[in-house]
Amino acid sequence: MFGQGLIKGLQVTWHEMFKKKVTVQYPEEHAPLAARYHGRFQLDADKCIACGMCANACPNKVIQITKEKVGKKQYLTKYVMRIEYCLFCGLCVESCPKDAIAFSHIINMNQFYRDKVRLVLVDRPAPESLPEGEAAEPDAGGAAAGKAARVQQAARAQAAAGKAADKEGE
Amino acid sequence: MKTQTYSLNMGPQHPSTHGVFRIVLELDGEVVVKATPVPGYLHRGIEKLAEARTYTQVIPYTDRMDYLASMLMNWGYVAAVEKLMGIEEEIPERAQYIRVITGELSRIASHMIATGDYAGNIGGLTGFTYTFRDRERIMDMFEMVCGSRMTVSYFRIGGVAADLPDEFFPACRQFISDLPSMCDEYDGLITGNEIFQARTKHVGIITPEDGINYGITGPSLRGSGIAYDLRKVRPYSVYDRFDFEVPLGERGDCFDRFSCRIKEMRQSARIIGQALDNLPDGPILAKVPKVIKPPAGDAYAEIESSKGVLGCYVVSDGSPKPYRVHFRRPSFINLGMLGKMCEGWKIADVIAILGSIDIVLGEVDC
Repeated sequence: MFGQGLIKGLQVTWHEMFKKKVTVQYPEEHAPLAARYHGRFQLDADKCIACGMCANACPNKVIQITKEKVGKKQYLTKYVMRIEYCLFCGLCVESCPKDAIAFSHIINMNQFYRDKVRLVLVDRPAPESLPEGEAAEPDAGGAAAGKAARVQQAARAQAAAGKAADKEGE
Repeated sequence: MKTQTYSLNMGPQHPSTHGVFRIVLELDGEVVVKATPVPGYLHRGIEKLAEARTYTQVIPYTDRMDYLASMLMNWGYVAAVEKLMGIEEEIPERAQYIRVITGELSRIASHMIATGDYAGNIGGLTGFTYTFRDRERIMDMFEMVCGSRMTVSYFRIGGVAADLPDEFFPACRQFISDLPSMCDEYDGLITGNEIFQARTKHVGIITPEDGINYGITGPSLRGSGIAYDLRKVRPYSVYDRFDFEVPLGERGDCFDRFSCRIKEMRQSARIIGQALDNLPDGPILAKVPKVIKPPAGDAYAEIESSKGVLGCYVVSDGSPKPYRVHFRRPSFINLGMLGKMCEGWKIADVIAILGSIDIVLGEVDC
């Protein structure tokens, strides 16, 4: 009978009125992000050994690393991501042998100006010599001093990242 | 009275072309005399870009071909490289099953868009919101699995990038148990609608002979009643272990192609259910060297993508970068018959015909 299909279709839409809403009011509410979500990158500068494997793994040459030799170790001085070319494929994160580079859950990376887009994760001068505990093996003494230095370094890295990152960023 | 024909550009900016696609229509009044498809507006040169990248680095680019079923695009490329390296047999069982699960989820997601978008093309935009609501659940699952929703880059040469997380299993089981009722909803809302049926039945018929001659594959061919599904006729990966049917149409018109996709979604859910039940433990990545250097030579592998047969041809010269990569994109080849299909139909039917072969322009233009 003509019209039967239309009535059935209307029934489907009618039932929908009593169901739970599936949308969220975005700027006020946020849908939960999965644990593996590919958000903005974060770099643990202490873990990074400046091996450059992430830069090699990148299909678009997004990652630019500058390093200096301090004592016997390579010291990461600058870690810049040309994030405007990034595909967020995660090959850099996968290739990192020390799990230094990782994804965060920060999603608002939008900027008003193109030159602000670039993501500077580390920008620091190389020290004269590595602080104690850094240069020594982990089992050696001065762990507290090493820890303090590490915290300081992390803070500096964060500040550098924050400078380049968007001001509205979390 | 003598009348003149005139030409009309449909597209490149037209919502029913699923992207940027132009059809130059030569019209006699409202009737199409000749239709000339003009693709190429979304060409990014993925095949050329691949030549400057290592074998692994090509994977994110394959996502961007058919971005509605990116897992399957990954699979096509990865299968070709694995064939080139001769490690097809070494892919761990668990990785094979994970590939089947995620690949079939991708197929469902793609068919959901095809279904909802087609309803929108015909004039019932409500259907669009229903399929998108349900597709969102697949996107959420992909987010759990690989962190991205559409451009997944999940497959690796020799396996997959990461194991399925724990939270994936309940979500996936819930989804496949809900899928039949979702499909019933689409059938009630779209398939059963008289206006929809009047617009699509007996329109844009692909005869079985024409379908084969033009190289059409996928649901567009199966709508004409030809049981050609690579998963059945030439099973790759572990597809020979699953019990599923290949839904077929009878007349080969727009309606049959459309309803084939809804039936295929139900079958995909069956496959996923079986794969989840039999998911073996073990590694997810075969032992492949860090720097992938396949021996000089070439390989061609095919998989059944959501749009049809996706082929990938890889030539190696022994270096870490592919010498040449070529993709046989089903959307592009299915488009070949569009001109012939549109002839004699009215402008409104062109949209119905174009929507029924379910193209995605990222794949057409590559």
